Formats: sequence, C-alpha cells, structure tokens
Amino acid sequence: MNEKVLLVDDEEEFVETLAERMRTRGMDVSTSNSGANALQLVDDEDFDVVVLDLKMPGVDGLEALKRIKRRRPDIQVVLLTGYATVEKGVEAIKEGALEFLEKPVDLSSLTDAIHKARATKMVLVEKEIEERIKDILHHRGW
Amino acid sequence: MTTTNAECWRSVSDEGLRFFGEMSASVSHEIRNKLAVINEKAGLVQDIAAAMKSGRSIDPERLEVQAGKIIDQIRQANRIVGALGRLGHSVDASQTSINMTKLVGLVAELYGRKASQAEITIDTTGLADGVSVITNPFLLVDLIGACIDASLPRVDGSRILAIASEPSGDGAIVRFQHLEGVNDSDVQLGGEASGARAILAVLGGRMTADRERGEIVFEVSDCQYCDSGSHQ
Repeated sequence: MNEKVLLVDDEEEFVETLAERMRTRGMDVSTSNSGANALQLVDDEDFDVVVLDLKMPGVDGLEALKRIKRRRPDIQVVLLTGYATVEKGVEAIKEGALEFLEKPVDLSSLTDAIHKARATKMVLVEKEIEERIKDILHHRGW
Repeated sequence: MTTTNAECWRSVSDEGLRFFGEMSASVSHEIRNKLAVINEKAGLVQDIAAAMKSGRSIDPERLEVQAGKIIDQIRQANRIVGALGRLGHSVDASQTSINMTKLVGLVAELYGRKASQAEITIDTTGLADGVSVITNPFLLVDLIGACIDASLPRVDGSRILAIASEPSGDGAIVRFQHLEGVNDSDVQLGGEASGARAILAVLGGRMTADRERGEIVFEVSDCQYCDSGSHQ
C-alpha cells in the first residue's frame, strides 16, 4: 500500500510541485496551504504522515503539530522548514515530530523520512490492535 | 561624552545590531523558501526529461511553464537580496539626504514576510514624492521598522497597513494607517530604556498615537547630532 501523505505549506508553488514529484514516486499525496485547513483534513482522512511547514499565517507549524498529536497520536509528523533553528528543532521533537528537515530538501531525504514515519505509524497501530485484542480477551474471559 | 550619552549610544548600538540580525535572519529564511521552490521546479523538470527519454510523449509547453516559474522565483529572490543589500549600505554614511519614499519602501519590503505571516499587506502607495530628510539612514530604517512593529498588532479588519508620508518643515511625517484601538502604549517602543527609544531620542524624532484617525504618526526632522560628531 502507498504512503498516504499530507503536505502543508503556505507557499503554493512549493507544495504543488513537491506533491507532483511525490505522486510520480507512487505516494498518495494531499495538499493544504494552511494549518487550519490541515487540521480539518486530518479529522476527515487517515494519513500516515503529515509534512508541515513551520511558519504559516494563522495556525503555524508547531501549533498544528501539537493539535495533530493531540487528536491523532499515531499520525507521524515531519517538519520541513526554511526557518530552522536549534531551539525550534528541539521544541518540535519534544512535541512529537519525528524529523525536522531544512529547506531546500533533497527529495530522497524526504522520502526516507516518510518511509521511516510510516513504519513508525504501523508499529504504533499494531501495538494498539494488540492491546485491544488483549483487552477483549481479558474482559470476555473465553 | 557624558555617561548618559555613552549609555544612550550603547543602547543605540545594541538595538542596531539586534535589528540588523532580525532582518538578516528574516531575509535568509525567505531566500531559503525561494530556493526550495526552485529546487522542486528543477527536480520536476528532471522528472519530465526522464519521462521523455523513456519514450513518453509530453507537451513541451510543460517545460516552458516550469522554466518560466523558475525565472519568476529567481526574480523574487533577487528582489529580496537587493533589499538586504540596500539595508547593508544604509550604514555607509552616518548622515545623508534621504528620499523617504525609497527608504520606507525598503523597510516595507524587508517587513513583507513578517506582515504576510500576520495576514497583513503593506500598502505604500500613499508615500508622497519629493519628501526627504537629512539624518542617519540606518537608524531611520530601524525606527520605521519599529513603527511597523508597533502598527501590525493594531491593523483593522481591512488587513492592510497603509503607509503615507508628507513633508513637514525641515523634515517629514510618516503615517501608519488603518489601525484600530491604537493608544499611547503602542508608541512606547518597549519603554524608556529600550534601544528604539534611544534611537528616537538621538534622531530627535517623535511618535504619537492618533486614536481618532487610527494612525501612528512618526515625525522626523533634519538631524543635528551628526554635525557635532558626538556619535563617534
């Protein structure tokens, strides 16, 4: 199954071009130009990975990251930004981002991060299923 | 130079360095964003070329469109770099005759990204021709920036910060318009001890809040301090 990715960046030319290149490489990519719209999409669809810009008008990348992790802890977030500082990187990782990449990014580095993110999500989902099964077996007492 | 003067100039110097750092970081981030778009566009052109090599029929216009967009991004990046260059050269002279339209236009350009992050557009069409003042260009750039910083949180529902200028005696008045609920605390520039206040004092400028008209008004006259060489 292909990775289901949401790309979020207020620079439309960037997000559309990157999305086209990622689709050519077999990924299922949706795009958004704002943090608020991205949160709506996360509520409506099941993504493996969200690639977030840090600086956006309205809901910025860090705020969107916090809200995504609160709503859907299994979704993996990769921050991709032209505004990288050590402090921001540390804050993003503390808030649950899997990777913090700087623009301009090499597509193979981003693809690697997305593969890693999806694998992490699969482990989390499997663990959750395992827990649920254990819980059912425990309570039903078959 | 008195102790007070020395402290004042230290504040001016610290504020100048802080401002230059902030502008340099902002511009470098903006250039990174342009480079990121160029990087993706160039990558897309490579993808298209690879597809053509493998025998796929692709409309050559797709390449033409992408090349045009790359050129457009390069132009935008060049404009931003030009603004940073002009900011750098503003320290070339400690006192010179300044065309206010050009100088305020430069600051508006440097603040474009910061404003757009707040979903605000800076409109400089109200800058009058022929308004000039003799003063320190770099310090004036810093102060106009401080005025924009003070104005951005007060911009009204139009989401447009309009900047207008007019001549005044031996100086100029710059108006920051379309502000809502503006008051005296907005023109304190961080208080008596702040670097921006020190610059305001050194240049003999004045900042006031006009609540009724929804404006922050900045007045500056030909500067006297440079004549005495007291800043050296």
